[in-house]
Amino acid sequence: MHRFGRMEALRSLPAALLWLTAAAIVLYAAWPWLPWGRGKTVRTIVFYGFSILGEVMNEGVFPAFQAEWQARTGEHVEFVSSFAGSGTITNQLIMGVPADVALLSVEIDALRLVTAGLLPGPTWRDLPNAGVVNRTPFVILVRPGNPLGIRDYPDLTRPGIGIVHPDPLTSGGAQWAILGEYGSALRQTGSPDAAHDQLLGIWRNVVAQAASARGARTQFESGFGDVLITYEQEIISDQARGRLIGQIVYPRSTIFSEHTLVVIERNVDPQERDLIDAFVEFLWSPQAQRLFVEYGFRSIDPTNDGANPLFGTIADPFLVSDLGGWERVKVRIIDDIWRDRVLPEVNP
Amino acid sequence: MTPAIRPRRAARASRLPIFLLLAVLLPLLLMPLAAVFIFAGRGGLPAFQQALSNPDAQFAIRFSLLIALGTALVNGVLGTLAAYVLSKYRFRGREALTVIVNLPVAIPTVVVGTSLLLLWGPIGLLGRFLDPLGIQPMFAPLGVLLAHLFVTFPYMLGAVKPVLDELEVTYEEAAYTIGASRWQTFRYVILPALRGGLFSGTLLTFAHSLGEFGATVLVSGNLRLRTQTAPLFIFAQFEAGNIENANAVAAVLATLSFLLFFTLLRITRRERQEGA
Repeated sequence: MHRFGRMEALRSLPAALLWLTAAAIVLYAAWPWLPWGRGKTVRTIVFYGFSILGEVMNEGVFPAFQAEWQARTGEHVEFVSSFAGSGTITNQLIMGVPADVALLSVEIDALRLVTAGLLPGPTWRDLPNAGVVNRTPFVILVRPGNPLGIRDYPDLTRPGIGIVHPDPLTSGGAQWAILGEYGSALRQTGSPDAAHDQLLGIWRNVVAQAASARGARTQFESGFGDVLITYEQEIISDQARGRLIGQIVYPRSTIFSEHTLVVIERNVDPQERDLIDAFVEFLWSPQAQRLFVEYGFRSIDPTNDGANPLFGTIADPFLVSDLGGWERVKVRIIDDIWRDRVLPEVNP
Repeated sequence: MTPAIRPRRAARASRLPIFLLLAVLLPLLLMPLAAVFIFAGRGGLPAFQQALSNPDAQFAIRFSLLIALGTALVNGVLGTLAAYVLSKYRFRGREALTVIVNLPVAIPTVVVGTSLLLLWGPIGLLGRFLDPLGIQPMFAPLGVLLAHLFVTFPYMLGAVKPVLDELEVTYEEAAYTIGASRWQTFRYVILPALRGGLFSGTLLTFAHSLGEFGATVLVSGNLRLRTQTAPLFIFAQFEAGNIENANAVAAVLATLSFLLFFTLLRITRRERQEGA
């Protein structure tokens, strides 16, 4: 009788241990939501940003604004954020994610928000600098030592070169890249045919398409392809961290991307109005602009750019306005030329 | 001829299939799993700890555990109810219903995500009427829970229904003859027999919820510190090139799931021994 009881106890020991472990895991998981684990109440900004913004916002701009707001009002601001391809984010916004503020790679995505009825009109044009927060030129990244001897966009049309390119369907960076590939030839030669041929030659060599510029860089880093066309910022920020695997090539002529901020008025709680306005204003402040430069973006005020010695020079830079503005290039270049002429020729 | 020799020889002969299995599993399962741990530990223990102590990572792990817990609890009850009804009641459309409740196993999780968005989202069939009331299940923890309930529904059913199907009707009838109510019969006759099935079903549901990705990525809005689950955190960090951060959390998930399934194995083995 006594023996039997001891055996029972021994057998139930692992069971007790199991329940204890389970209870510990539950306690750990629920800790921040328990009454004593909860911190003081905070105010929240929900921010959606395109892919390459992750680091500069999380490590630079958010903490800087938190410190400034705390100093000014004593309140703690919490940032809830999500970063993905500009097109992906735009689709999420249209689907109804609760974003207060979104920084999109291309203005055409902001225009899609107007079409979808999320914004009453091009409200971002009333913001400072017509809503453009920062910019960065499009450049070419090659393998260390530049084994294929790539100097400019035309070299990318040579057969046998593998290009990693983000997908224009979901990535704003990919649309800027197309404008760079097409526009540079147009400016150098003045001939739309030559520009079309350069775009076609480059797209014949595209071997991988990622959903975002960030995703494309990860593909390139994991050893895929010979060339990556991307934001200069991506490369500069890696270079600053000493983890760049490759070499930057500045085209003679290339486009500067301009990144557009939208405030989704519908999602802004009236009580948070002052906070959101202050944050939006902060993005154009010298402090935030210097942070952008530190993380490899070019400031909207070129005098800030001297602070980053890694920036290269571009002989013939151009903007989307030089090509006629987003509404025009979206139809004339992205849709009519790239989608309807180049793509069918690449994948007949 | 001693009896000790024969079993040993038999044991040696039976080793070959084991090695064969290991040889096949090495590149298929074991090496990828090892890679997770190797990359997680590449920066040494301090880097691993730092990756895990990141507030985003902490939130993601905690949020995933809570969602998995909620999913396991709700589906534990709902799945048992479904198993009981489908096993003990005879009604028209029973077979169709059995097929339907098992469908989530075969539907791509991405499709589950889109359908939930198109139902509950602000522009969805029902969500459109909820939105003006200020009710927004999608892009919130509730949306993640709804997705996980859908995706993991069949696991509880699969664990409990076979046990119920095999349960001798005579026990229940005996219970009824001595005047037990339907609830009493369930509580004192059926439930004890189901213990093993309930345990394994709940654990399976928990484990699947912990690893769910496809539906979650769509319905959550992938908001860090609000709706980002551990698998979403891993994906986001991997895409951002922070492979160490991604793998640190992946290693935690892998360890948890190893523990879960180890427990599962022990429970089912004990139940079988007790049943014998």
